[in-house]
This record gives sequence, C-alpha cells and structure tokens, in this order.
Amino acid sequence: MIVVKNLEKYYKIAKRDPGLRGAVKSLFHRKYETKKAVKRISMHIESGEMVGYIGANGAGKSTTIKMLTGILTPTSGEVKVNGIIPYENRKQNASHIGAVFGQRTQLFWDIPVRESYELLKHIYEIPQKQYEETLAEFVEVLHLEPLLGIPVRQLSLGQKMRCELAAAFLHRPKVVYLDEPTIGLDVAVKVRIRNFIKQMNARYGTTVLLTTHDMQDIEEICHRIIIIDDGSVIYDGSIQDIKAQFGDKRVIQFELEHSIDHFVLPEEIRSAAVVIPKTDEDHHVVSVSFSSKEISGAEVISCMMKHYPVLDLTIADAKIETIVEEIYSKGLKGRVQHEEIH
Amino acid sequence: MLTRYLKLYYLFCKQNLKVMMEYRMDFLLGVLSVMLQQFAGIFFVKIVFDHIHQLNGWTFYEILFIYGIAATGRSIHHIFFDNLWTLGWQYIRPGKFDRLLIRPINPLFHFIADRLQQDGFGQLFIGIIVISTAMPHLDISWGVLEFFILIVMIIASGFIFVAINLFFATLSFWMVDSLPIVWTIFNLSDFARYPLTIYHKGIRHLLTWIIPYGFTAFYPAAYFIEGSGFQKLALLTPVVAIVSCVVAYWFWNKGLKAFTSTGS
Ligand SMILES: Nc1ncnc2c1ncn2[C@@H]1O[C@H](COP(=O)(O)OP(=O)(O)OP(=O)(O)O)[C@@H](O)[C@H]1O
Ligand SMILES: [Mg+2]
Repeated sequence: MIVVKNLEKYYKIAKRDPGLRGAVKSLFHRKYETKKAVKRISMHIESGEMVGYIGANGAGKSTTIKMLTGILTPTSGEVKVNGIIPYENRKQNASHIGAVFGQRTQLFWDIPVRESYELLKHIYEIPQKQYEETLAEFVEVLHLEPLLGIPVRQLSLGQKMRCELAAAFLHRPKVVYLDEPTIGLDVAVKVRIRNFIKQMNARYGTTVLLTTHDMQDIEEICHRIIIIDDGSVIYDGSIQDIKAQFGDKRVIQFELEHSIDHFVLPEEIRSAAVVIPKTDEDHHVVSVSFSSKEISGAEVISCMMKHYPVLDLTIADAKIETIVEEIYSKGLKGRVQHEEIH
Repeated sequence: MLTRYLKLYYLFCKQNLKVMMEYRMDFLLGVLSVMLQQFAGIFFVKIVFDHIHQLNGWTFYEILFIYGIAATGRSIHHIFFDNLWTLGWQYIRPGKFDRLLIRPINPLFHFIADRLQQDGFGQLFIGIIVISTAMPHLDISWGVLEFFILIVMIIASGFIFVAINLFFATLSFWMVDSLPIVWTIFNLSDFARYPLTIYHKGIRHLLTWIIPYGFTAFYPAAYFIEGSGFQKLALLTPVVAIVSCVVAYWFWNKGLKAFTSTGS
C-alpha cells in the first residue's frame, strides 16, 4: 500500500545575521543552510496495517507525512501510495487518502459541521447512499449528533477533533494519515477516538499511519511501530519485539525530599543505571533506568535510599513509554556504541 | 469535468451566501461602505468638471462611462475572486494551504471558491448605475450588438483584474506574504479610471502592455466613444484578458511547484 525507498527531504533555510544590518544584507545575497529533515528512510506498509510513526520533536514525522500525502515533493527517493506517486498525481492520490493534522482544521471554518460534510460529499463524489450510511455510523461512534448543527469555529478542541476524524474517513479512503490526532485531548475523548480508528480499520480495512507523542495511543491502536530519530528510521518492527528486546528494562521513579537540581547517581550504581532526562517541571522526581540483567531493582532502591532521603517510589516495567523514552534519549544500543567510537 | 466544477462552485457559493446572511449587519455595512467610497471618487470627478468642461478632450459623461466600466469589472473580481488577497496571511502562513492540496480538486478552484465577498456587490450596483447614467450621453445608438460587446468587455475587464492579482498573489509562495506588492500594483488600476491620454507615454505603455489595467476600463470604454482613436485597440480587450489569465495561471502553477518543494 505504502512503499517508500530512500526517501529524503532537505529544507533550505535562509540564514540571516541578526538585527537590521543582517536583514539588509540578506536582501542582496542570501546564505542558505540545509536542514536534512528526512534522511534516506525506507518502509513498506501493507494494506490494512496500522502503524505508529513515532519520534521526538523535530524528528521528521510531519515532513514524511507531507511527502506521503503529496503536499511536499521529496528531495530524492521514491514514494508510492497505492501505486500512485503522490506529488506527481496529487489529485488522484487525494481521492484515496484521508488526513488529520492535529494542529489545524480540515473543515470549513464558518459553516456548520453537517454542511461541511455535505460539501466533502460532493468534493469526493461519495454516492448518496454510502454517504448516509457512513455518516450515520460515525455520528453514533463519535457521538456527533449534538455537534452537527454548529459551525466549526464554535467547537471545543475535543469536539472539533471528533468532527475532523469523521471528515477524514468519510469517503472511505484506503489510507489515512493521522498526525497527532489526540494532541491536547482529555482521556475520554482519546478513548473514543482510538475506538473509532480501530473500528474503521476492522470494518473497512483502512491502512492507518499514526504519529503521536502519546504512547497509549500507539499501544492500543498499532501492532507495528516505526521509530524515527533525526530523520532516520532507527526501529521498524512489532511492539512485541521491541518489548522483548528491551524487556529487561526497568524504570524507577523516586520522589526525593530535596530538589534534584544537584542530583547525581550514587557511585555504586553509576555503571549499570542512567537518569532519564526530565520532560516535566517537577523538581523532586527523578527517573532511574536500568537493565534487570545487570542490577536488581532492590539494589538500586537500597542504594538510592542510602544516599538520598526518598519519600516515595514507583517501579515501571517495560512499558512502551519507557522504552521509547530511553531510545529517544540514548538511541538504540548499537547507535550509542557507534557514537562512542567517534 | 466542467459541469462538476460548476456544480461544486454553486455548492460553495450557497454555503458562502448562508454565512453572509448570518452576518447580515456586516453585509449591509460592507456594501454601504464600498458604495460610499465609490461615490467619493465620482464626486471628485464632478467637482473637477464643475470648473472645466473638458479634460484633455474628454467630457464628463465619457469619463463617467470609463469609471463605470472600471467599477463593474472590478466588482467581478471583488465578489468572486476576493480570496486572492488572503493567500499569504490566511492560507500559506498559518499552514491552511496544505488542506487544499489533499483534496481531489484543483487547488486554485478550491481556494477561489472558499470565499464570496459581499462588499463587492456595492461596487457592482454603483458600476451599473454609473454606466447607465453615462450611456445615453454618448454619441452611439445602443443596439443588441453594442450591449453584447459591452458585457463581453466588462467580463474581460473583470478577468484582467483577476489575472493581475493572481499573478502577484502567487509571489506569496516564495515570500510568505506578497500582500504589500499586490496592493501597490492594484492601486495602479486607479490610473486606468481616467483617459490614459492624459498621462505620460511611459505610464501609458506600462498600463497597456506590461500591467494591462488600461484594458480594464479606458480601452473598453473608448470602443464606444466616437473619435477616441482607440477603437481597434479596444477590440483586443478579450484577447488581453485571456492572455493575462493564461500567464497568471502558468505562474500560479510554478508557484505551487515551488511551494511543494520548500514546504513554506
Ligand atoms: N517548512 C520548513 N522549512 C524549514 N524547516 C522545516 C520546515 N518544516 C520542518 N522543518 C524542520 O525539519 C525538521 C523536521 O520537522 P517535522 O515537522 O517533520 O518534525 P516532527 O517529527 O513532525 O516533529 P513534532 O513532533 O514536533 O511535530 C525540524 O527540524 C524542523 O525544524
Ligand atoms: Mg509534527
């Protein structure tokens, strides 16, 4: 369904010195900097697969999706979706795909949701009967009934996202790209959206490529994940495999009495464990990651308690979150060693 | 294919009209303010002619006629193609343009059909009123053929406005927002509301062959004015319109290509 070979995208960014002088200078001759957003990635996604496409901020996920949808022309490499080269036959490609970009709306801003769908029906040339059936189904699963009469601009984020999702699937596309469809949503809406996606896949065999920073989404929807880091694919395989590969990973969160600003791992466990960089603002919690093959959880805990006043702790096993966090921060084992050689 | 687009356009229009009716107050105010603006322009011409009888050989009603064609032609652009103004700041910069590229219809069509501008109706009313006021005072007998030519000329005038705006709006694909340029160029069209013979040769050539605003009002009007000396050139108006549109659309496609390779 989706075939990608050595796909690359370089952005040219105009570089400019700061200040007015820089601005004037840039009028006459510009320096360009090349940003390699996607570097030689390859993937093969079968019809009906649901694949999680994950990576840290700026890894190149959205850029890849834009190339798959035909919005962006690749710098080099091959891409084929359903036998069509998206950037060459954009319109043809468009009739077989659906897309949700979490940050911006696909619907018509000023007109009520139902009328938006009516327009989409004509744009995608959906047969009336199929349209009615599909809409009835979506209204039920996503609870859209109370929203249909409201203009998009008056909807809350969660309401809008439900409507967006319905719009993306309305013409029963073969492939749907979801770029952060659950961003900023509460748990209840997330659950509803996940169920909807799973149901669409089960019923219509829709191929789904999903990017998200919520690992719960991935774990519930996808069987396969592709992890991308700094423009390159660093993992492509099933979730089970990655769990098995990292099954010995453990993460223990310690809540300390003092701020962790000056925290360092105790000498004794420093060779076997690492601190996971913080993503939130809590200055009293530190996450320590280690392999249960090298050191036991009990040792880590007792050592920590010897050196720091610990208020509370939680032990997490190999959940996909912790694995991915680890991979983002360190790269895969092979990559880490590779980098150390240099 | 064509019928499909016509039908789609009709459906888009219907939605846009509904939104317009929702904001009834905006509609009225918009139409009124545009009408006021136009009146101010005409009033200015009137004052000038209170003091002189002829401007460089042109009578008040001849000038009024030129003015009327300009207003009517412009209103076509204003009502149906107003979205061109917003390409940079409303579509490209906030990333909304991507949406048009993943729909199975022509992105330019989608972009244009996205909006109907109510204010343009004010201009249309004024244009029609001014033309019909001036018409009886011209030395020409109005038959079916003349009416037909007048309508063709006005439509051509409208599409020249569209083509020029499309051309310069397209620059937004390279420079994020070309609005200031579009504005500056558009303001040149004000020159074309007066007989081009009153200007320096350079300006005249510019407005005839480079940025053909001359064909949005002065030349088409001159066709109906006996002894203006521009009757032949005036007949080129529809040709100029078609050529401008072709060039602008070609440029738009180039811009689109640049956009899809830079992504911003
Ligand atoms: N239009 C653009 N012009 C220049 N650089 C860009 C452009 N779009 C993205 N980039 C750069 O390319 C890289 C990849 O960006 P991309 O949006 O694909 O990341 P992402 O994986 O989707 O990240 P996020 O999780 O934050 O959405 C980033 O370094 C970004 O700064
Ligand atoms: Mg992104």
